[in-house]
Amino acid sequence: MPRFIKNNGLSIVFLVLFLAAVSGQAIAGRADFNEEQVRHGNPEISLSRYVVSSDYGVAVMENWQSEYLQFTLFVLLTVWLLQRGSPESKELDKAGLESDEQQKVGPHAQQNSPAWAKVEGIRRRIYENSLLLVMGTIWIGTWLAQSVTGLAQFNSERLDHQMDTIGWWSYVGKPDFWERTLQNWQSEFLAVGSMAILAVYLRQRGSPESKPVGSPHTATGVEG
Amino acid sequence: MGAKPAVAACLLALALAACGAGDRERDAAAVTEHFHAALEAGDGQAACAELSEETASKLEQQEQKACEEAILGLELPKGGTVTVRQVEVRSAYTQVAEGGADFLDEGPEGWKISAAGCRPTAPEQPYECELEG
Repeated sequence: MPRFIKNNGLSIVFLVLFLAAVSGQAIAGRADFNEEQVRHGNPEISLSRYVVSSDYGVAVMENWQSEYLQFTLFVLLTVWLLQRGSPESKELDKAGLESDEQQKVGPHAQQNSPAWAKVEGIRRRIYENSLLLVMGTIWIGTWLAQSVTGLAQFNSERLDHQMDTIGWWSYVGKPDFWERTLQNWQSEFLAVGSMAILAVYLRQRGSPESKPVGSPHTATGVEG
Repeated sequence: MGAKPAVAACLLALALAACGAGDRERDAAAVTEHFHAALEAGDGQAACAELSEETASKLEQQEQKACEEAILGLELPKGGTVTVRQVEVRSAYTQVAEGGADFLDEGPEGWKISAAGCRPTAPEQPYECELEG
């Protein structure tokens, strides 16, 4: 197997799965949309038209924003919050930002440490928080995109019912926006919480998401 | 794809979408103005041609007359220019200067009026329309 594929198999497989699923969502979403169109005596639309529609846009964005919120919160909260016995948690005496020596920054950096881990000042501060910054930015961006596409969809339905359209500020206070948002958030929080607690007692041999099979339930912050 | 070309592609797509939206608003406004101009000219057939099939059919059933005859008997603004126009997905809202709003749907033959001579009622309630599909 070419070394590139062996070394990057996890990312490659998930990229392929993502592309397959988002394409499948477009096909199924367009079919569902067109069934609704026919019910209302309106013409069906093509796949190329559907993938640039607000209907598809809001469906994709509402899911993306919740995934990135999940990672943002998980990355942030695991700095300080612990779960005894979980491989998702740090060890019980390591809550907080840890020491420079533990984090291998500044004078404690290794020769092959990333460049910004070796320096002092704002660049190191940024790099120390880069994962949170990027995840958080993507979350905010996709949540904003959800609000814009959701607004277009919401206003289209209002016009269909001979009602006034509303602006963005009104829309982000509407049940439609929060129902879309919270239905996604609840599943993300459930997933993380489940994983954190189930991994205390259950095992998956060979997976770094699990403790080693023979690890005691009380062992915290160990990987399989 | 590198970051810069990707950003440029996104901005271009947004710009094209914005231009497209402007064209569609103008098309919807043109249909509205043509409809009200036909009413002013007493041309019921031309006015009915701007209606959606469902709306024209409902009018004929309600009035028990052909559309081109029934439409001229309704209290709809005659003539006028569009002062407000808005497109959302495949629905549009237009308002003529002389008052009254029209709602349009986009179909295979372009924009068609689904409701005309509409006025607001209570907040968060549908408009009341002289002509409805």
